[in-house]
Amino acid sequence: MTVRQAGVPLAALACLLAAVPSVADDLPLKSGSTRFAVIGDMGTGDKPQYEIAAVMEEYRRKASFDFVLTLGDNIYGGSSPADMKKKFEDPYKPLLDAGVKFYASLGNHDSPNERFYKPFNMGEKRYYSFRKGNAEFFALDSNYMTPEQLAWLDKALHDSDARWKICYFHHPLYSDARFHGPDTDLRARLEPIFQAGGVRVVLSGHEHVYERVQPHNGIYYFVLGNSGELRDHDLKRSPDIAKGFDTDRDFMLMEIAGDELYFQTISRRGETVDSGVIARTQK
Amino acid sequence: MKTAAAILIAGVMAAHADPPAVNRDAAIVNEFETRIDTYLKLRQEIEAQMGHLKTTPSEEKIAHSERDLRHKLREARAGAREGDIFTPQISMEFRRLIGLAMQPADATHIKQSLRRSEPVQLHLKVNEKYPESMPLQTTPPTLLENLPKLPPEIEYRITGRDLVLLDAKANLIVDVLRGVFS
Repeated sequence: MTVRQAGVPLAALACLLAAVPSVADDLPLKSGSTRFAVIGDMGTGDKPQYEIAAVMEEYRRKASFDFVLTLGDNIYGGSSPADMKKKFEDPYKPLLDAGVKFYASLGNHDSPNERFYKPFNMGEKRYYSFRKGNAEFFALDSNYMTPEQLAWLDKALHDSDARWKICYFHHPLYSDARFHGPDTDLRARLEPIFQAGGVRVVLSGHEHVYERVQPHNGIYYFVLGNSGELRDHDLKRSPDIAKGFDTDRDFMLMEIAGDELYFQTISRRGETVDSGVIARTQK
Repeated sequence: MKTAAAILIAGVMAAHADPPAVNRDAAIVNEFETRIDTYLKLRQEIEAQMGHLKTTPSEEKIAHSERDLRHKLREARAGAREGDIFTPQISMEFRRLIGLAMQPADATHIKQSLRRSEPVQLHLKVNEKYPESMPLQTTPPTLLENLPKLPPEIEYRITGRDLVLLDAKANLIVDVLRGVFS
């Protein structure tokens, strides 16, 4: 296992550790908490995807998460019935059989018609929201961010009385991966809406690595695009990376318990490569 | 008195001159929207006969519906040609609008967005399907703000230097405007 703490100065690291104290290897698993997993860029149908899915099932037995957020590129290379079986239904069968629900967002390799696929729970919409406990989740379509979608998000965030507002979509607003880099046009449009709407956590994929970015304006940005694909050693050294992992696949577990959100990133070997807790701000 | 008369004459002449540029531009956008409406009406008629696709656990049904819609649209538009919607006048207006979007304040963001969202180089043809194995490039939000609004059934897509009108549900190329991006 390689955990790369890329180029973070000691002072910045100390601040970071104060803000994000590390937790034990497993989430606190508090009674009544909301627990879910996060995967991105997974739909290859190759062995590593199946191996990550198997580790997820192991953790489901331990942590009893109820649902999974997908950060796009759910199905690579077309979404024929055979593709859906090999790249979604088969690898995640144990989770699906256990009643775990998947809430998909669309990546640039996905057909927009995946919104009609029942196991993706998109309600025929390319962007949508749903509520779980004291958290509301906003799945966006970053492939095609129309003024209508931006207006919808702005209103939906303002109308939401959820204590935690989490946005997830494919293209990262911040990233220090070499292959693509951040989408700054998207950032210019979305970030002001996130700030005004009280979003605390943003999850994206697209880059085939894991990154926890230093918080920007109180928002925690995670990039997780290596639950099937991997771009080995693609992360640059950057002070903007709080934690990076680019040598194997992984997925994330999250647990929301009151005003705290715990996260744990787990590799294909079942090792925790990052973990921490984020406190809710009063807004 | 002479001055007042001159102003009056100038006003009358102006009223009979060419419409201001802003009205010309609006008229061209109206023409574009009319052409989009024509496509949409045809599509709605076809979909009404087929029945609308609903959420299903069967990917087979989704794939069949997409194929069926595309097949029927292609048949109904057998004579469709590049430029049916992007007429020369509409093309010129789109080049102007894209040029406005690419003004220095936004150009860097748009170009970065285009570069970083996995650009695709394809030569697409009207009435053909978008290749399933190819990713869709992000259409930058600043660009979408500057182009005429489309109904949800059709979207602007970028492939290489071209702007494409894509019917996403049918996965069908509706029209192509060539060489608008550098």
